[in-house]
Amino acid sequence: MREKTPYEKYGGFSTVSKIVMRLYDKLLDDDDVGPFFDDVDMPRLIDHQTKFVSSLMGGPASFSDTHIANAHRNLTIHNAHFDKLKELIQETLDEFSVEPGDAAAVLGAFEARRGLLVED
Amino acid sequence: MSLEAINEQLLRAIGVGVALVHTPTGAVRYANDTFGEWFGPIEDEARLPDLMAGAEIFEALKQLEASGTLTTEVSFKRRRRSMTVAIEVNRALDEEEDLAVLVCQNISRIKELESMIDSYAMMVERNTHEIRREKEHVEKLLLNMMPRTAYEEYKSFGVVAPRLFDDVTVLTLSFANFESIIAEHDPAVIVSELNDVYTAFDRIGEQFGCERVRTTGDSYVAVSGVPDPVRDHAGSVASAAIRFLRYLEQRNTSHPIKWIARAGIASGPVIGSVVGVQKYIYDVFGPAVSAADRTRSAAPEMEVAVDGSAERHLDARYVIEGLDGAGVLRETGKAGAMQS
Repeated sequence: MREKTPYEKYGGFSTVSKIVMRLYDKLLDDDDVGPFFDDVDMPRLIDHQTKFVSSLMGGPASFSDTHIANAHRNLTIHNAHFDKLKELIQETLDEFSVEPGDAAAVLGAFEARRGLLVED
Repeated sequence: MSLEAINEQLLRAIGVGVALVHTPTGAVRYANDTFGEWFGPIEDEARLPDLMAGAEIFEALKQLEASGTLTTEVSFKRRRRSMTVAIEVNRALDEEEDLAVLVCQNISRIKELESMIDSYAMMVERNTHEIRREKEHVEKLLLNMMPRTAYEEYKSFGVVAPRLFDDVTVLTLSFANFESIIAEHDPAVIVSELNDVYTAFDRIGEQFGCERVRTTGDSYVAVSGVPDPVRDHAGSVASAAIRFLRYLEQRNTSHPIKWIARAGIASGPVIGSVVGVQKYIYDVFGPAVSAADRTRSAAPEMEVAVDGSAERHLDARYVIEGLDGAGVLRETGKAGAMQS
């Protein structure tokens, strides 16, 4: 029998939806990364977050690197923004008692895509 | 504190936005704190059209019938957030002034959740679609390995119970010159040739109501009457066997590799079952299969030998030449009893 994905382990969509909403709040409230979302409409942003968080946790979504690169093409994102984003994700995962190992895996998957977002 | 004061406090602090608007001019006569928080600070002489999304609300307000109620939704951005407010407008019961009461609820969270569910539902739908495609693929593979009835049984119960089929006819065919072909040709060429030949056999068999059970390198085994009964199982197999050899003869005239086969057919009982747990395959074995094998080894090259067990079932369309028990099959061209 295969091992449970973090997605299944933490309660599937029920938990993911809460994590997404929390992360969404944090991103918008943050003055460093928030402005990136000024012109993004809400359904698109939520769609993006839902798929993203699901896929990072091994849920029913796939996110291609090309898709990620395209979505961030016209944004000037610096390493500091990316670090802030990781910090917010870490915070959110902590709030939902995601085990350090699983949280590290999520952040690792995120770190692996730094080059797709950050310009310099 | 008077009751009136308490009421006022309540109205101000409540999580619902409340405002009183003069309908003809849009002048805001009263707005509670929540309303101000959402649509902008309400100063003296504030007019509804000047507020956040106010023009839209004012437009709606004008359509308010004399004593009616209307509901509307407005969306706008506040601190990067898309905010959606549902507004219910009622005409105030005031004889002197044309006033409307606006009751506003923040439904942004609901809208956000709706978007999330939409997004998730789309994801799930796409996955369901992929899973269905995968399932069809697996089903197709399994149907190559076992008859449909066995597959259905396997799907429902996880196992296929062995079944005894009392009277069926088995055909086995093997190549007399297989060893030399292997020695002389490239493996890839041999596989591709066998693929060709066996596919042709499958097609011919299907036409006559017999089905391939297995191939093991140089031998091909087919049966008629498993798992669904076939009335003229011996005739089906005999017709197919003759055409297998005819096909090979034809093919040999135009291909560099000449396949020399002999075939044997026999009737009797067999057992049909899925054999194996991890690597399952539907197999047919038993007296009729052994008899067909035995008969085949007695067949001359490019001939079909018929065991006595099968001979009994054959009608006037066929004649068996030679020794009883392993004679060679010929078609007579006559109509069979079974066909009419």
